[in-house]
This record gives sequence, C-alpha cells and structure tokens, in this order.
Amino acid sequence: MRKSILPIASLLFLGGLAVSWATHGTSIVVNDPARNISIPDTLTVPLQVQAAYNDTTMFFRYRWPAANPGIFHDVLVYQDGKWERRGDGVPGSNPDGLHEDRVAMMLDDGSVPEFARYGGYITVGAGLAGLTDEAPEEVTKYLPATRNRLGAWDDMADEDVQARLREAGYFLDLWHWRGGRSNPMGYADDQNVGIERAGDDGRSAYGTNWNSDLSQPNVMFDKDTTGYAALRWDDIMAGGVTQDETYALIPAVSVPFDPTLGWQNGDVIPRRTLRMPEGSRADIAAPGKGRWVDGYWDVTLARALDTGAPQDDKILNDLGMYDVAFAIHRNATGGRWHYVSLPQRLGLGRDADLTAVKFNGARPQWADAWTDITLFYPGQVTWPLLNSAAHAGADQIAEGVPVRFRHSPEQLTHYGIEVEFNNQIRRQWLLTILAGVILIAGFGIALNQSISRSKGA
Amino acid sequence: MAAYHVVLVHFPIALWLGAALLIFLRVVNDGPMGHAADRALPVFLILGVVFGAVAYTIGLMVWDWQALSSTPMGRNHMLTASWSLAYFALLAITRVIQGEALWHGTARFVMLILSGVGVALVGITGTLGGHLVGNYTEVGDVLRWLGWEIYSTYYVPNLTVALLIILGVVMAGLGVMAGRKTAA
Repeated sequence: MRKSILPIASLLFLGGLAVSWATHGTSIVVNDPARNISIPDTLTVPLQVQAAYNDTTMFFRYRWPAANPGIFHDVLVYQDGKWERRGDGVPGSNPDGLHEDRVAMMLDDGSVPEFARYGGYITVGAGLAGLTDEAPEEVTKYLPATRNRLGAWDDMADEDVQARLREAGYFLDLWHWRGGRSNPMGYADDQNVGIERAGDDGRSAYGTNWNSDLSQPNVMFDKDTTGYAALRWDDIMAGGVTQDETYALIPAVSVPFDPTLGWQNGDVIPRRTLRMPEGSRADIAAPGKGRWVDGYWDVTLARALDTGAPQDDKILNDLGMYDVAFAIHRNATGGRWHYVSLPQRLGLGRDADLTAVKFNGARPQWADAWTDITLFYPGQVTWPLLNSAAHAGADQIAEGVPVRFRHSPEQLTHYGIEVEFNNQIRRQWLLTILAGVILIAGFGIALNQSISRSKGA
Repeated sequence: MAAYHVVLVHFPIALWLGAALLIFLRVVNDGPMGHAADRALPVFLILGVVFGAVAYTIGLMVWDWQALSSTPMGRNHMLTASWSLAYFALLAITRVIQGEALWHGTARFVMLILSGVGVALVGITGTLGGHLVGNYTEVGDVLRWLGWEIYSTYYVPNLTVALLIILGVVMAGLGVMAGRKTAA
C-alpha cells in the first residue's frame, strides 16, 4: 500500500485537473428573465452588405440568415371573449415566436467622433431599458454629451445645449427596417439617436390597433378583399402565413372592427395598423420590399443623398467618407437582444470598409460583391462601464484608441456576456484559483512525503 | 508597470522551460549529462520562482484590481499565472528537499509528467499574456479546440471547487500517513 501512495496521489492530482477542465465555465451563465438576462444560443451572425449610389439616391442592400421570417410584431388573439396581446417584447426570444425581424444602421458624418471609434457602444448609456439595472422609466439609446454626467441617464443637458448639439450635427442617423411595422408598406423607419432614440419629424408607418375604452381592435381585415377578417393562430404558429399572404393591416385591406362578427377562439388580428409614413420619417424606402427566402433576409433600402433635413438625417455626398454600424433582430427578439457590428467606414466612391459604388440609372444592378461583417450579441456593456475603472481599456478610450484595435466581435460577445454575471464569475474565479493552489499543495505534500519514505526505507 | 511586467516574465518562462528540459534530460540519462542536468536544476527552479514571484507581483500592479478582476482575459492570465507559480514552487521545493532521490523509482516518471504539465501551464499563461497585449497566437485556437473558449473566464462550479479542495486534503493526508509510517 505504501508504495502505491505516489501513484495514487499522481492519479488524484491529474484527475482533479481533468475534472476541472471538464466542468469549467458551467453553473453561472444561465438565463434569468427577472434580471433581464437571456443569452442567445448563437453569439455571432454574418451580415452581408452592399452599397451603391447615383446622382440622387443612396442604396444599401443587406442579407443575413434567419431561421424563420419575423413578419409579425405583436398581435391580438381572441380567446374566450377577450382579445389578448401576444408577441410583445420579452428578455430574449418571445416564446410564441412573434416579434418582428429588423435590420438597423446608424450613420454619421464625423460629427460624433466617438462613434467612428466605438460604434453603438457610445449610445448605450446607463439605465437603458432591458438592462439588468434599467431605469424606472423607459430610457432608449442616447449620446453621451446629451447628459451632464456620464452614467446619469436623468441628468439632461439644458435644452439650449441640446439644440446647439443638434445644430452641430451631434446625432446619429438611424435607418430602421422593420419586418412587421414598415416593410409591408415598402418603407424603413427613419429615426435618429441624440437625446434619445426618436423618429424623425413626420409620421411613422405604424400605429396601434387597440381601443382601450372598448378593449377591442380598431380595425380588422376586410373580408371582401382578403377572404378573411382575421388570421388563425394555428396557421401562424405552423408557419403557414407567409409574405405571399395578406398578413399586415395595410390601409387597402383594413376595415373598422366589427365586434358582432362571431369571433372564434384563435382568431388573430395584428396589433399594429400600417399607413403611409409622412415627412422626414418617410425618407427611407424599401424598394421591392424585403424578402425572406431559403433562410435569408434580403433587404434593400434607398434614401435621397440629400433629404433636405440635416437636423434629422446625415446628408451624403459623392466621394464622402462616413461611419456606419449595423444591427439585426431575429428569432423573435426585441430591445437589446440584437446582434451588432463594430463601426465600419463607408466611402462613397472611395475605398473603405464598405465602398459604395456609383452607378448610372434608377436602380443599382447588384453584383455578388458583398462586404462581410460579423455581428455579435453585445451583452450589457454600457458606455459608462467602458469608461470606468472596471474596464482595463478605459485609458485607451480616453486616448482615442479605436475598439477594433484591441477587440474582435468574437471576443466582445464573450466579454459582454461575462459582464452580465460579473460578480458571480469573479467570486467563482477566485475560488477556482484557491482550489487549484490547494490541489497543488496537497500533491506536493504527498510527493515529498512519499519520496522521503522511500529514502528512509 | 505593463512594460516592466512584460520584461520580467521572460525570466521565469525561460527558467521554467529550461528546468523542464533539465528534468527530461535527467529522467532519460543516468550518465554524466543527466547528473549535470540535475545539478543545474535547482538553480533554474529557484531562480524561476524568484523571478516568477516578482513578475507576478508587478503584474498585479498593471491594472487596478477592479479592472483585472472584471476582465476575462485578465482573470485567466492571473489564474494560470497563480497556478504556474505555485506549481513550480512545488517542483523547486521538491528538488531541494529530495535531491538525487527524485530520480529513482516511480518518482522519476512522476517528475517527467509534472514537468510536462508545467510546460503546458506556463505556455498557456504566456499565451494569454500575449493576447492581453495584442499578440495573438494559434495556441488560443488549440485551447478552444480542447474545450476552453479563452475569451471566457476559467472557473469551476462549487462542486468542483469542493472536489479539488478535498483531493488536496486527501493527498496531503496520504503523504502525512506515509511519513508517519516511515518514522515508525
């Protein structure tokens, strides 16, 4: 038995290391809806982009994989005499698989210099809706200088300052294509990010189909036009309602709601009415409308180079250089559960990360020359956090070192997830160091004592 | 401090990898070369631990604790550095106490395995340190292939923590038991 002590100890030591290896990284990173935590199964998604322009119009074409087409946003389902809302935003994917797919692009002309270096991270201020420590009121993306203090979501700069910032171009243009709320009308939502994420002047392409006084929809499908007054829940869940059907309440197929129609359990009416957008908010068209085919969305957006609304939009010029960052929502997600890109340089007729090609004619003839961009799930990394002592690169940010110099999308997605569990992981990491040192020490004692015994013998 | 840490870590890395080579030479050679390697071994191990401790201490000063303990790659680098230092301290103490007895019987092969584990530990530590300063290598991909995403913190669940501590205590107990029987 005594001769066996060293081999036994060696086996225990190596076995301990093997168990450590086999079990590492488990037990902490789990979904917790109560804390607004839901980690997607897939952490990175490829996005393909093309850009082209003629004398008047800028075109972008986006293509990305999506297992299912998210063409519905929230809906109203008739159940036992009541209309129930389904498909609203939740942490992660909506359990019914309803919540529209989207592609979004933030665009700047250099007026927000941090955007070129850090992209959308600068818009993630403290207190944003969907964060674990979200503010008691809904706070959307905003730019740092619109607040008096970093990390103080409610300490707004004076209105005069806000107006001057806007005058100076301190805002991001936001092109926001929505699979349910804008695409059926052939538009994207033209928005911007400044003091908040807001729509440009004018009217959006969607409204809410709900009469809260009567607890019923305002409109329904026109049976004479579509053949039905409502969709069926089972058909939607089975994927039987496609873009080839009439699935959205566009004006041409909508009629006032009739409560006497003999509604059946499982009847579905979209909770959003669609309409022609107006004003500056209607600047971005989706010519041909985005289509989902064979597991991929293919979306083209078009906007005038100069919209005539420099307080809402970034005006584009031939041979100009700009900064863009992309994001998509898929798998019935909303809010912060998107995939984002690092900032990219956009050159109109100039070499850049994404080079827009000039063409003659009304529509670009897209070649198969895509720019491949890796999107990633960003976790809960806020701009105040990145500028705090908890971020080892805060000094580099102060010096203006771009995020791409030190980080890749693959790295950032794992870092972003760990931020969501930082305290738990730190504790477990310290315990792991301690346990490893004890294992080594225990083996050291066994090793030395058993060899000493051999010497003594 | 970062630059000093980068300079200093070269010493323990070189000394510990050199020590592993000396252990290998001694294990496979009982002749003059093997004995020469054994005579040099404690110098390499002890100097490695001394320089390792200095580099480790300086490394702790590169970032604020809050940043170091919040950064996955920083955590991983510190974890493997801690284990490397403890591990080679064990080898140094063992060589100093046991001397020539290390190279007889089962201990000889145990030392060979231990040196291999040590090389792996130091190699991983250095690789992670390289990543921290922006020098990426394919070693990271090898570790991913083996099951560790190095951009995520290496930690084990409570059950494994308990198991490792119990194993450490059991091994120490086995050693103490062996020592008592020798004394008896």
